[in-house]
Amino acid sequence: MATIVGGLGSPHAPSIGAAIDRGLTESPDWKPLFDGYKPMRRWLAEKRPDVLIMIYNDHFTSLFLDNLPTFALSVAPEHRIADEGWGPRPLPPVPGHPELAWHLANSLVADEFDLSISHDLPLDHGCLTPLSALWDWSAGWPGRVVPVQINVVQFPLPTARRCFRLGQAIRRAVLSYPVDCKVAIVGTGGLSHQLGGERFGFINPAWDEEFLDRLETDPESLAAMSHHELIERGGTEGIEEIMWLCMRGALAPQVRRVHRNYYHATLTGYGQLVLEDLALDAAHPPTTVSS
Amino acid sequence: MKLQTANPNQLAALPAGCYPMGGATSSRAYRMNRFCHALLVPARREAVKADAPAAMRAAGLSDEETAMVNAHDWLALVRHGVSPFLLFRLSGILGDGLAATGAQMRGQTLDAFMQTRKITGAR
Repeated sequence: MATIVGGLGSPHAPSIGAAIDRGLTESPDWKPLFDGYKPMRRWLAEKRPDVLIMIYNDHFTSLFLDNLPTFALSVAPEHRIADEGWGPRPLPPVPGHPELAWHLANSLVADEFDLSISHDLPLDHGCLTPLSALWDWSAGWPGRVVPVQINVVQFPLPTARRCFRLGQAIRRAVLSYPVDCKVAIVGTGGLSHQLGGERFGFINPAWDEEFLDRLETDPESLAAMSHHELIERGGTEGIEEIMWLCMRGALAPQVRRVHRNYYHATLTGYGQLVLEDLALDAAHPPTTVSS
Repeated sequence: MKLQTANPNQLAALPAGCYPMGGATSSRAYRMNRFCHALLVPARREAVKADAPAAMRAAGLSDEETAMVNAHDWLALVRHGVSPFLLFRLSGILGDGLAATGAQMRGQTLDAFMQTRKITGAR
């Protein structure tokens, strides 16, 4: 049976990917961030998940306003590296996991999450920044990826609670996958930042730290927050925090914090987090879903 | 939560200086956003670099939209309904990097803005 080895949180700012590609990870500006990835990489090397379920958003790269899904799931066997306007990053194509992805699709739709299903979803920085920071891809990607895309770019957005519940449904889906397979869930984006308007550059470190506290110990209270409250405290694009809430929903109610780091340097509050289930989760037993 | 119960429009009564895209502004700026999205195609980028007014005319942008772009009035374009993620592709091609575009929206010079950041070289 499939298991969930834990959940990770990572920013997905494109400048982080650029720092990797330019060999700047040990530079004074970037070292505080990339030092924060080292325990995450060690944890991944130790736990060796077969699959990362990446909770991310596309930034009008592969998805556009002509037809923008609220939730999308990739069942592709392989994902191209998107060209976001300055050429694709020098990363190998990212292997998907169609069997697990179709199981997720069946389970999630039965669970009343009606996602769009994508067979060809080139990945942009929303997915690739954390992936390229967390995994050593120099000799090829060490595992497979199932991207789950959430619209956080055109309102109305799914509520924070809806994203939390999607995470809970992903947990039920993974735990009912009848194949031995280790899965980690990665929430991406945020934390506080704003890119449009007079509040461009807005960062709220106090809120980011509080968000990380509450995500660990009291995610229900975050799920109850309105978009208005989240934007007020975290900025317009800080709304990406609802994708971390999705990751948290896929973990047990009680978790153990393995790692946490916070840094801000440019335009975004960077949070880094590794959580593991604290105990067997009797409240969310695996459900049987016909496929 | 209470806001969502009282008013299902998520865009109602947001903090000052916040312009999340959606609803009426998204409809109003659809053509403009589509113009920016098309810049993912290298030939479109070259066309805008070579003759932005002609490219905008060919895309059917309004006179108002064309004037905002010609003036590099990025704040006006965001207020109009252009997503910042799409706007940055256009402003970059027209010579204003991410930080310069943002500084303009804040009403600051680029240097004044960069002094508020830890990584001062990241323009």
